[in-house]
Amino acid sequence: MAGRPGTNQTSYSPSLKTQKGRPPIFKDGDTDWVRPDGRGFHQCRPAFIRTGAVNAASGSAYAEFGNTKVIVSVFGPRESKKAMMYSDIGRLNCNVSYTTFATPVRSQGSDHKEFSSMLHKALEGAVILETFPKTTVDVFALVLESGGSDLPVVISCASLALADAGILMYDLVASVSLSCLGKNLVIDPILEEESYQDGSLMVTFMPSRYEVTQLTVTGEWSTPKINEGMQLCLDACSKLAKIMRSCLKEATTTSQE
Amino acid sequence: MVGLSLGEKHFIQGGIAQDLRSDGRKRLTYRPLYVETGVIPQANGSARVRIGATEVVSSVKAELGKPGSLQPDKGRVTIYVDCSPTAAPMFEGRGGDELSTDLSVALQRCLLGGKSGAGAGIDLSSLIVVEGKICWDLYIDCLVISSDGNLLDTLGAAIKLAASFLISFVTDMRNSNNIILILFLKAALSNTGIPRVHVAAGASGDDNTEVDISDEEFLQFDTSDIPVIVTLTKIGRHYIVDATSEEESEMNSAVSISVNRKGHICGLTKRGGAGLDPSIILDMISVAKHVSEQLINKLDSEIAAAEAGEEES
Repeated sequence: MAGRPGTNQTSYSPSLKTQKGRPPIFKDGDTDWVRPDGRGFHQCRPAFIRTGAVNAASGSAYAEFGNTKVIVSVFGPRESKKAMMYSDIGRLNCNVSYTTFATPVRSQGSDHKEFSSMLHKALEGAVILETFPKTTVDVFALVLESGGSDLPVVISCASLALADAGILMYDLVASVSLSCLGKNLVIDPILEEESYQDGSLMVTFMPSRYEVTQLTVTGEWSTPKINEGMQLCLDACSKLAKIMRSCLKEATTTSQE
Repeated sequence: MVGLSLGEKHFIQGGIAQDLRSDGRKRLTYRPLYVETGVIPQANGSARVRIGATEVVSSVKAELGKPGSLQPDKGRVTIYVDCSPTAAPMFEGRGGDELSTDLSVALQRCLLGGKSGAGAGIDLSSLIVVEGKICWDLYIDCLVISSDGNLLDTLGAAIKLAASFLISFVTDMRNSNNIILILFLKAALSNTGIPRVHVAAGASGDDNTEVDISDEEFLQFDTSDIPVIVTLTKIGRHYIVDATSEEESEMNSAVSISVNRKGHICGLTKRGGAGLDPSIILDMISVAKHVSEQLINKLDSEIAAAEAGEEES
């Protein structure tokens, strides 16, 4: 690892120079390629989710999908700022931020503005805003460790936190992303796979209503590939939503005991 | 924008259901497109596009820089959209920030492809000069002058046109890479050159660069792969293309699809809050592919006309 003798190294991170020569984990002609963590192409990471992580918040949830760890708290419905105009439907305010230690190389820990607006769009279709007029619900997401597929985990965790807070919703929102590496479609990519991907597809889905609230596609895709990718994601989203539901049920049964 | 009364809303929705929009267009017809290139002489490439009352200006500037350590064989492209207060008073100060970020992210998604660079509209490996040391940084800056709906499509068209009048590079590595002579081409009205880079032999240490101003040639940057963006807005049960801002205020949801010449999808963003059935999204993709052919042909003819115009002058 790093630490050349005689230099003043103030950071512990491994020297980038050693990483340059590393061959990509995936080569196009490789048919026997196995994913670095041994999963099948269509296998998602095991999910660990718990609600009630933050006592001070109206609702909260913590999710761990492999190395991606996210905590979301929901505050509200609270009085809207005086500067905002009257509105007869509620407002949803979302904020996604990364800690400084979330990425392998220490970063500024900035707000990801575009993730915040994507989270907002994903949840907007699910929350029944008419039930809390004149007030605002704040959703704050913090990514503690970024291990790939960050935004989908944030979205799923946020909808769980909203449910924990008792905000009325049409349905739970589950979200999954898919990476295209050469000709293969791998679901729930890790950070390494994402950096070599040729394209990505992220779906945010409400399973009971069978509605997609958000869909983003990057890279070049032909129509049959998009079809296949969407089917895989929708399937994974339905299974994830079942896990989320059972987590909520457990939380209420343990609190009743 | 002034709100719409209930009567106006019904008028718009009913008209769309009958394939007749408020300005007489059919559902899948674009407003007339006006294009002007080379509007910014100091930029390496620029274009101004007007669709109906929506007007944007885009400029492409190329500067030399150092490639990132994670991708030493690729150049960089940065896309930035600025919403000017002349378009709407709410854009003053920080007001237009959210919309600008949304548009910039959507454009980057459509034009830059996956992280490995595959499927990108702009080939980043052609921007490298000396691997690991020098590369071209393309800065694409867009300005929204007037907004009447359908900003994303207009921006996509403007970037495609601005880039098509940019020149590509030839790197001529003669000997090894100690002294690098860079011949700069002065930007002429449309055909601005990004330099021919000669890497000549030399004595001294690594990062010596000498800049020499010359004025020849330039090569056409291959932009035939840059995709166009088609935004389909769903109102009621039908989709329309190129919505005006009144129609956009009525929308349930919209999907912006970027299609390239080969008919492949290069990027897709769903906007708007309402949920959509997956089969509807797949249907929208096929409609967008069909509509994009017209738009690509229109842009190609504009590019050809503008090139012919310069050759005469």
